[in-house]
Amino acid sequence: MNYSKIFHVLFVIILFVFGLSNCSDDNGPIKIGVLLPLTGSQANFGEMEKNSYEMVKEKINSEGGINGRQLLFVYEDDTGKPDIGRTGAEKLINIDKVPLITGGYSSSVTFAACAVAQQYRTPFLVNTGSVDKITQPSEFNLTENDGDKFYIYRLNPPVSEYTSGLESLLSEVVKPASVFILHENTSFGSEGAESFKNICEKNNVKILDVKSYSAGAIDFKPLLQNAKNTKPDIVYMISYVMDAALLMKQSREIGFMPKLFVGAGAGYTMPAFKENAGIASEMVLSVTLWHQTLPIEGALEYYNNYIKKYGGEGPDYHGAEAYAAAQVVVDVLKRCDNDYTPEKIKSTLDKTDINTVFGRVKFSSYNGKLHQNKMSTYVVQWIDGQLKLVWPENLSNAVFSYPIDWNQVWK
Amino acid sequence: MELLIQSLIYGILIGGLYAIIGIGMTLIMGVLGIINLAHGQLMMVAMYITWILWQYASIDPYMSIFITIPIVFLLGQGISKFLLFPLIKKESILPENQVLMTVGIGMVLVEFARSLFASDYRSVRTGYSESSIHLGNISLHVPLVIAFVIAVIFTFALFVLLMKTDLGRSIRATAQDREAATLMGVSAKKITIFTYGLGSALVATAGVLLLPVYYLFPDVGPVFTVKAFVITILGGLGSPIGAIAGGLVLGIAETFGATYISMGYRDAVGLVIFILVLVFMPGGLKQLTKI
Repeated sequence: MNYSKIFHVLFVIILFVFGLSNCSDDNGPIKIGVLLPLTGSQANFGEMEKNSYEMVKEKINSEGGINGRQLLFVYEDDTGKPDIGRTGAEKLINIDKVPLITGGYSSSVTFAACAVAQQYRTPFLVNTGSVDKITQPSEFNLTENDGDKFYIYRLNPPVSEYTSGLESLLSEVVKPASVFILHENTSFGSEGAESFKNICEKNNVKILDVKSYSAGAIDFKPLLQNAKNTKPDIVYMISYVMDAALLMKQSREIGFMPKLFVGAGAGYTMPAFKENAGIASEMVLSVTLWHQTLPIEGALEYYNNYIKKYGGEGPDYHGAEAYAAAQVVVDVLKRCDNDYTPEKIKSTLDKTDINTVFGRVKFSSYNGKLHQNKMSTYVVQWIDGQLKLVWPENLSNAVFSYPIDWNQVWK
Repeated sequence: MELLIQSLIYGILIGGLYAIIGIGMTLIMGVLGIINLAHGQLMMVAMYITWILWQYASIDPYMSIFITIPIVFLLGQGISKFLLFPLIKKESILPENQVLMTVGIGMVLVEFARSLFASDYRSVRTGYSESSIHLGNISLHVPLVIAFVIAVIFTFALFVLLMKTDLGRSIRATAQDREAATLMGVSAKKITIFTYGLGSALVATAGVLLLPVYYLFPDVGPVFTVKAFVITILGGLGSPIGAIAGGLVLGIAETFGATYISMGYRDAVGLVIFILVLVFMPGGLKQLTKI
């Protein structure tokens, strides 16, 4: 038996003993799993996020990598379906042996994948999935004191906080008397509607009705006709991008003119919304989590670099979330002292406190949530085909256009 | 009352589009004996061709029918000649394998579209795509009305083809009894290939008509494959008249469901009707029409 055989046998034994460890190749790239919808109806979002991850990867690797090792993102396509997302997370953990998963776009897929990560004790850094329960330990049979057993971390705010920026705009400027809420029938949609309802109740805004729809419909007119008949002051809509475009186009068609259309982020801030809705996107207001003109170091640079590399209209907050998640990954790996195990990465994530293009990232626990990054949200408006930051006033780069003469805008 | 009439009109207009999606699948079902699971994907191809013609050659979506439909017809013929017919020929190969083949073809079409156009959403915007005609308080969306009229014309032309021409008789004969038709001198191979092409051309028509009111991305197809499947079963396998009835029933049911129950249950309403028809009319709606 030559030395190499002995070495191999020893090697296998070592692997066996440290079954969960994945230091199989000390000089190869560090593999990090990314779960995103790369095909299916949400692929447009997934693509923007993947592009942003790749930007960070290329930058880091061209600067010599992390402690001399290259960074590699292993992408898994969840196709926007929870069951595929679960399988994808299992594959990343068991076959690719990644010590950390990031990504997570739609709420339902992310929640399903988080359950897998929690089960296999692999940290999951969520960057977009926003339903509140993702960072609620009670959903995973844990308590708020179980931070050391809870493997989910979230960089973006939960959906119940999306409207924090909008609330002051509504109560201080718009002062609506009534609202009609439309939402897609997903966990993101229903929870978003629920939290907006609470805000309306708090501010004495009459809720005329809350209606759901299933994504991908051709004809929203029955729904919009119902909404039109109730004559609301504002319409609040929670939709992905093409439903958002059709809702606005068809509102214009049937002459549905409330004082204000307000989108809940998601589809309403995407460049594809404006491209496909055309003139009907004009003056639509939306919640956002980020805007390139915010006073955040690197935000505008990221926005410009993205356009330079991939062309098009530039990223919205989804891209910034992904870029920031990749920045957190790099920061964590650099502080891991060459010990790239799930446990070490988890304990390093706990101590994270860095400034990203998305703002400061620091995981804390509040309101029954653990490992949740706390952030402010903002309000944007499509003015002359551009997404402008209109609220809060001190950060805005355009004046909030209100009241709106729809006959003039939609001419 | 107005809302009722408005919903009925929306339902019929959408139903007309559904019908033409369903007829193509039911024809293929009748002659080839398989469910064509690449149906929606062929529609996606037609939509992309229409979009390219609009974007780069400024050809109106409805005028592009004259280019898009022949291309997809030839594509369908090619698929059935080189990919499906070799499987049908061998009796040892189960029909399930041909169905699996259509799944594969569908996937290839989707990924091919993604490699060319990425996952971006596209739509066409024409001068009339957001205009409406108002009759009293009832509004009619112009592109949907045009789509409905063209769908009716195409369906009528299809019936003339099926009922009045030799080719049509051969198709019906092959659908009824393949072996007997062959014995009577009908070339089953030719008819099989032609029918798949015809089915593709019909769903391509639906794609062209749908584009001005909807949008396009590589994965737009599967949803419509499922719709076509539901319509085909609703109508009774292999019956074009049944497919028209099935399409209209589905369109009206979805719209009424959306107006009076909740748009969140749009798909559920369609599927409840689907189950009811299966339970009470296992042969589909063609039991009522006898064609």
